[in-house]
Amino acid sequence: MSTIGQPVDRVDGSLKVTGAATYAADCRLTNMLYGVPVGSTIAAGELLSLDLSAARATPGVVEIFHHDNFEKLREAPSTGMPDGPDPIVDERRPPLSDTKIRYYGQYIALVVAETFEAASEGAMLVRATYRPTDPATPLGGEPTGPPREENARGDVDSAFAAAPVRIDAVYETPVETHNPIELHATVAAWADGRVTLYETTQAVVNHRRVLSVMLGVPTSHVRVISHFLGSGFGGKLWPWPQSPLAAAAARTLQRPVKVVVTRPMMFQNVGHRPYTHQRVRIAAERDGTIVALDHDSYNTTSILDDYEESCGEGTPSFYGAPNLRVRSALRRRHTGTPTAMRGPGAVPGLFATESATNELADALQIDPVQLRIQNEPEHDLSLKVPFSSRHYVECLTLGAQRFGWQNRSAEIGSMRAEDQTILGWGVAGASWIAERFAADVSIELRDDDSAEIRCATQDIGTGTYTMLAQIAAHELAIPLERVHVTLGDTDLPPGPISGGSMVTASIIPAIVRAARSAREQLARNGGSKATGHGSSPATFGEEHPTVSRHSYGAHFVEIGWQPQLGRLRVRRIVTVIDAGRIINPKTARNQIAGAMVMGVGMALLEETIYDSRTLEPLNRNLADYKVATNADVPAMDVTFLDYPDTHVNELGARGVGEIGLAGVAAAIAAAAHHATGVRVRALPITIEKLLL
Amino acid sequence: MTVSPSPSASPLTVSITVNDAAYRKTIDVRTSLLDFLRETLGLTGTKKGCDHGQCGACTVHVNGRRINSCLQLAAMHDGDDITTVEGLARDGLLHPVQAAFLQRDGFQCGYCTPGQIMSAVALLSEPCGSGDADVAEAMSGNICRCGAYENIVAAIQDARHKLDA
Repeated sequence: MSTIGQPVDRVDGSLKVTGAATYAADCRLTNMLYGVPVGSTIAAGELLSLDLSAARATPGVVEIFHHDNFEKLREAPSTGMPDGPDPIVDERRPPLSDTKIRYYGQYIALVVAETFEAASEGAMLVRATYRPTDPATPLGGEPTGPPREENARGDVDSAFAAAPVRIDAVYETPVETHNPIELHATVAAWADGRVTLYETTQAVVNHRRVLSVMLGVPTSHVRVISHFLGSGFGGKLWPWPQSPLAAAAARTLQRPVKVVVTRPMMFQNVGHRPYTHQRVRIAAERDGTIVALDHDSYNTTSILDDYEESCGEGTPSFYGAPNLRVRSALRRRHTGTPTAMRGPGAVPGLFATESATNELADALQIDPVQLRIQNEPEHDLSLKVPFSSRHYVECLTLGAQRFGWQNRSAEIGSMRAEDQTILGWGVAGASWIAERFAADVSIELRDDDSAEIRCATQDIGTGTYTMLAQIAAHELAIPLERVHVTLGDTDLPPGPISGGSMVTASIIPAIVRAARSAREQLARNGGSKATGHGSSPATFGEEHPTVSRHSYGAHFVEIGWQPQLGRLRVRRIVTVIDAGRIINPKTARNQIAGAMVMGVGMALLEETIYDSRTLEPLNRNLADYKVATNADVPAMDVTFLDYPDTHVNELGARGVGEIGLAGVAAAIAAAAHHATGVRVRALPITIEKLLL
Repeated sequence: MTVSPSPSASPLTVSITVNDAAYRKTIDVRTSLLDFLRETLGLTGTKKGCDHGQCGACTVHVNGRRINSCLQLAAMHDGDDITTVEGLARDGLLHPVQAAFLQRDGFQCGYCTPGQIMSAVALLSEPCGSGDADVAEAMSGNICRCGAYENIVAAIQDARHKLDA
């Protein structure tokens, strides 16, 4: 029986529950040194001098690298597509390359010592003198650059002005920090002019490209290994400065060097989701037909790099507004460079547009589920092509049924739990792109009836090892237990980045082809040993797509509000997801539920707070930057529609990494409004915002 | 301000039992129990997530009770009996909590998992109420950023029922 669609246990599960799964920082090499970076304590200005005398006198300290003695690394361009030949890196400036300070925590030195304790003490004893300047102030104001029109149809300004019911509101999402529990880490070891990097990266192939450019060695001389990652949520897509720091230090000292980023540095030196400011204008006829949608946003970025959040990524295809415009701009400030965080663009974007849709429903006095169904487009009005497989309306209707939405009383504060807690109900929709990156896979059939699948992609916790084993077992018609999966090593055939919810979709065509080629070889040559290769091209970035490929979802939320206690809790969430065929409902459900939990955090808890004068991130630890804990978890009901989308690949599987987070915060904000009457348009929804 | 190298960096010899194996090691007195396990003994199953006692990834048992090993100095544990995630399985058989985590998919990336499992095993002998909410509360010192909390609670409840039976 095929294991496709079966809730099989993770094939790497026993390694993870016994502590045998090895992550980057678990690597211990003979003669290894420990590096601890020193961060700037100002956000803007000039580093004038470093007093290294006390640090150098620390027993065990071997070397202290800084801008004067660190090798000049090359800047990697950041122009490519995620699976193109060009390296991608968000923070392009190589570490220690000049004395300008552009963000708080920017590395100004690396102390390398025989032990972690000695390196830490040395790092604490480095004394820096600065000439500070005033940092670009944090929030508000106007974008630094002109807006870029990303999408437009019809005449949005005229249609908005002429419409009888209009919403014009500004929504804000704060800086969020990925905070995977695994710290970013690099162990670098050189031999014969070649370097091996034990990394925690969502993209081993790109990491090799970037480090090859920065270190000035051919890609064939860089090997990147990432067997297990303690997740990433986008924060580990592209290399961050600790990697070239470790690699160059190891080359100079001719000894392996381990650098593990500290938790405070996780808020400063490895990216974050930027602050977004989004003005949404949405207008409808009195019958609820949306006639205009204008999504105008900017996000903050760093001084040197242009990170675009693209909040309007999902806006053009979600509803049938005939007049639409999506614009975006950037605002610079002295922080580290932002990067993609789970559902970049769509997740903050849908908070704004789905909140505005709920406000429009209230203004129209139309049920928000009905308003959405009423504005379902027949095709993608922006691309002017059909949808590959869109079941958003069924997500809404099935979700409403499972939630009991028909019992909703629309009046503010009108619903009560048995203990008199005020209940609030809210809904929001979700969409996320469903595309493929290029992928190469090889399959080796062995004479003991087992098979090994090889691909230089990586499992960030999503279940890639398991999913690949299931698909290979299915295609080769052998038991799952006979399939060995090898990932996370650039010595393997190049595989996709673990980003954009695309690994599953990308790998399926390649693995199907590899299995077919192996089987053909067997048929031709006889015997029981064969090697097959499969390659499949990307769909992401196609200039003229013939279908519009997305996943969809709907979230229904119940919150409880106790104004006497100032207590707001998410009580339950019902989510219905249309993500094509589900390869493994056990791991897929876990991902969706985990994303819903992250959505509770995004809605109620998460915000990186910067000192407005110094741009120092003040809550850079896991006690003050609050994420959802076990006790914050609501009752969760997850349903997959399971319609195969064969426009994406043979098996019809899309991906489930991001879609579960999209829309959750908007549904919670709507529920909070329904309970309290307070419309919170700037996340997170903290108690004080409800009491004001 | 003049800061001189710390005189306390002189080494110290400790005898610590870890997973039933006796170790006698000369250590830097500044070494945390976590770094002692990982870097000195090479028991890397125990993870570092914050080094501040805020995430729970480094949870181990000291004389049967769960603690954050990042908040302890190894020098404080001379003579103590430590259990880490590597010490739970016996004769190749997973501990019931480990088996339940695997079966219930109580993790995704697996990085916080050793800490979750060590907390869960300790919880079995703590005065924890029987409800899911009691377990969720008692497990809230262990952050799982992947958000596998619901499955973690289910796994622990499965293991409790199995061990009670």
